[in-house]
Amino acid sequence: MLQTSTMARRLAANAFVFLLIGCNPLGIASVHAALGGDAASVVSDADDLHGTAESTLLAHYDIQEITNDNGMRVREFLTKAGVVFAVAWNGPAVPDLQRLLGTSFDTYTKSLSALKEPGMHRSLRIATAELVVEAGGHMRAYSGRAYLPRSIPAGVSAADLR
Amino acid sequence: MRIQHFSPLVLFSSVVLTAGLLTACLGSKSTSGGGAAPPPVVNTMAVTVDSGPAAATGAINHAYVTVRVCAPGSTTQCANIDHVLLDTGSWGLRLVRSVLAAGTVTLAAQTDSQGRAIEECESFGGGQTWGPVALADITLAGETASKVPVQIMDDTNTGAPPPAPCGTNGTLLNDVAGFHANGLLGVGVLVQDCGTACVSAASPLPVYYGCTASGVCTAENVPLASQVTNPVSLFAADNNGIIVNMANLINANGDASVTGELTFGIGTQTDNALPPALTVLGADPATGDFKATYASATYSSGATPLPALIDSGTDDYAFNDPTMTVCSTGSFIGNYCPSVAPQSVSATNIGVGVNNGTGRVDFAIGDANTFVITAAAFGTLGGGGGSTNFTWGMPFFYGRKIYIGIDHRAAGTYTGPFYAY
Repeated sequence: MLQTSTMARRLAANAFVFLLIGCNPLGIASVHAALGGDAASVVSDADDLHGTAESTLLAHYDIQEITNDNGMRVREFLTKAGVVFAVAWNGPAVPDLQRLLGTSFDTYTKSLSALKEPGMHRSLRIATAELVVEAGGHMRAYSGRAYLPRSIPAGVSAADLR
Repeated sequence: MRIQHFSPLVLFSSVVLTAGLLTACLGSKSTSGGGAAPPPVVNTMAVTVDSGPAAATGAINHAYVTVRVCAPGSTTQCANIDHVLLDTGSWGLRLVRSVLAAGTVTLAAQTDSQGRAIEECESFGGGQTWGPVALADITLAGETASKVPVQIMDDTNTGAPPPAPCGTNGTLLNDVAGFHANGLLGVGVLVQDCGTACVSAASPLPVYYGCTASGVCTAENVPLASQVTNPVSLFAADNNGIIVNMANLINANGDASVTGELTFGIGTQTDNALPPALTVLGADPATGDFKATYASATYSSGATPLPALIDSGTDDYAFNDPTMTVCSTGSFIGNYCPSVAPQSVSATNIGVGVNNGTGRVDFAIGDANTFVITAAAFGTLGGGGGSTNFTWGMPFFYGRKIYIGIDHRAAGTYTGPFYAY
């Protein structure tokens, strides 16, 4: 569902925004690939998350941000060639990481199973050569990000990917 | 696991009598000519840090309490459940189903308007709890809250199976081993575990679900009154907050156990006054967080303060310091093992809103690989590399008296949500 009020608020708040991608009312077949996927998967995510997507074009990469009336925000970072190399999220719940991580999800779950006492820490960090996942927060306020270190465009710092 | 069946009345009567006499001597507010004031409710109970329930020992920096749970309205279908984790960083009580069953307590799931069982997926770090939301009568010390929505951690898979992303986003933590605990007692600054975000969103969050008898679960909105709720907020009295008062540690490299007290109410009885000259940190009523900045000699978290929590459910001081060495071997892989230990660091807390106190706290991070690994309490355990939050975990509690004021409840001249120490 198109959230026009959300869009307007985001527009006013972000001078970089100049392109809006609405939802996909016809329901394109879901690609369900975010990290490592292409821009079409972002449209699919926005549709399936019932959110509104906005584009921000920067010098070295683009950001597609999906916002939802339930307070969830997901940002997908794309190379200029259109490949998603990072995702970040925040909101009152944890989004479906299998969807956001795409083909990297297996790497995530394998690393996760090695973590000791995962429930006693409000944050987790998984760092392999292929994938970094940092997630944290607590009830009502979760946040995190995942990125492909080898796919970060030249001139971009991991610190920018929030 | 020890499940005891006894009446709390017997246990507490002598304490009540003593407290009643004390009140009488100090002068009560009774206005009647002959009658004494009713004795105050016993509002203090023991907290113990030890190695955990017999079924899952090896816990570190876990603070435990014993919770009495009864089926709603019942005085016979009750159990005292030991080794429930005291968690000031969450809201609401969660109990492992097999432990309830061993105590012969059966709690029925709440149902939604379509008659489906209400179940919940709640995220804790790298894992989730899953299971139905049921009503129970909860007694802590002499305080009782009736018909409290609690989550049953469904380790026996009696209810519907967890729908993705529950259990796929992380490890399912439903059993006793998941938290080294028979349950979690979330008694932080807020009242419900999700709040308004789970009440009316057009696309419900993946938190509460309606589950059919055949086990098909669909995310749904749930009114505040049906959400898993901080039981302290539902006490008849002493319901505006808690005080956690833990003894200090003896050995720098770890103690086998630590004792302390959990007190209900702030400024409601003679034993829970809020003294002046405390640092009072207001919290964001949406998230329960205040703010903090972290600094060591070689690293600072920067100009923008981080969301911060005083959280007995985190086993370490948890923060990001990329200049601090992380343990790569031993029993504490992922925690900090500073090359020169203990390493002195600090963080400055900043209250949010009208309770905008600030204060710097100096603390030390030890080399976790020098700890006695068979101990249960460590005062200088650090971790949390990569985190964008600052968490004052269990080490912060040792040797401190920490006040936690509940959202929208007045405590003296302050109104929650706040933390004070």
